[in-house]
Amino acid sequence: MAISAQDKMIYVANKLGLSSLQNMQGSTRVIYDQQTTAALEHTLFAGAAQRNFPLTNLGANGNQFQVNEALLVEQIGFFIPDAADGENYLGIGATDISVKFDLVIGNKTVMKDVVVETGGQQAFYNDGAVPSSVLTLEGVGILIPPQVEFYVRASTFFRNSRIASSQRLGCYLFGTSALLNFNTTI
Amino acid sequence: MASQVSKLNYVDAKLGAPTSGQQTTRYIYDTVLPGAGGTNVTFFQNFAGKTQFETNLTTNKLDSMESMVIKSIYLSCFQGDLGSLTVTGHLNLNIFVGNQCVLKDFNPSFNSSSRGLAFDRLHSGVNEARIIEVRLLTDIVIPPQVNFKATLELAENTALVDSKLTLGLKGYGKIFSAGMSF
Repeated sequence: MAISAQDKMIYVANKLGLSSLQNMQGSTRVIYDQQTTAALEHTLFAGAAQRNFPLTNLGANGNQFQVNEALLVEQIGFFIPDAADGENYLGIGATDISVKFDLVIGNKTVMKDVVVETGGQQAFYNDGAVPSSVLTLEGVGILIPPQVEFYVRASTFFRNSRIASSQRLGCYLFGTSALLNFNTTI
Repeated sequence: MASQVSKLNYVDAKLGAPTSGQQTTRYIYDTVLPGAGGTNVTFFQNFAGKTQFETNLTTNKLDSMESMVIKSIYLSCFQGDLGSLTVTGHLNLNIFVGNQCVLKDFNPSFNSSSRGLAFDRLHSGVNEARIIEVRLLTDIVIPPQVNFKATLELAENTALVDSKLTLGLKGYGKIFSAGMSF
């Protein structure tokens, strides 16, 4: 039988000595960060504590979760901010851009040279007639534990010509999470 | 993995709440006017003067024999006359049950419209900038007689004086039953 998201979170947490994580509030979470200045390469989530909503939703803790909060990343999506204020955005398919990225947690690269291709996942992804900008992680997902820094290093290029393209860029990480709870899960 | 049914039974039992009752699918909703340029709203806080289509609650807690699981979140907006309010810009949604934050800084806007960014694999093909529904990965329980509320921050300040936002919470639930479940 396949392992569930909750099982994986508890398994990894126990391996790391975080035995109380299983008593935290289970939730669904999406965290995002964006850089609204066009560039060929971006390092997202790093330094997010210096940015406010709507540029990011990470708050003062920035690119690490507080004690007993964790996120099992199950989907990664990229978007292109439509203006410098970062209030709204488009999918990467709107400009026919693909994104090559690394996901780094602590001092470990957990996803390496992965590409979210414009229109990838077509076999099992339907968002109207719009190309997908999302990557669904195979397996159960990857856990970002509490109090460990993480970031995404990404570069943008044209899907068809495979030539680098300078773009604004944002990224979200979506999945099952635990929120700090001093008592018991309700 | 626990189902909605077993999770609700587990939490109700932990809290000493009755686990009997009519099983059902529950949907609760509230509508709020953000005001001209308003970007911060609170749902399930004030119910006075609202019609039955604006909210189906009269207080921000479920009855003594009622409980539910939050599994889907629905958000829609009425732009108002000549308004341009949408839910496609970044959003910051928090849901509190009791004194506990159960959904934290959540941005459902990635599921709005058709931009190829939806969390759900089988997202609606409707290219609608005023409606979102997100299916949560986790079952979150609202127990009987516990206050709850939701706060929403919008990145864009395009609301007009007559704009409205509606938040709906849907999932498996239990409602009062005087006798046996049917």
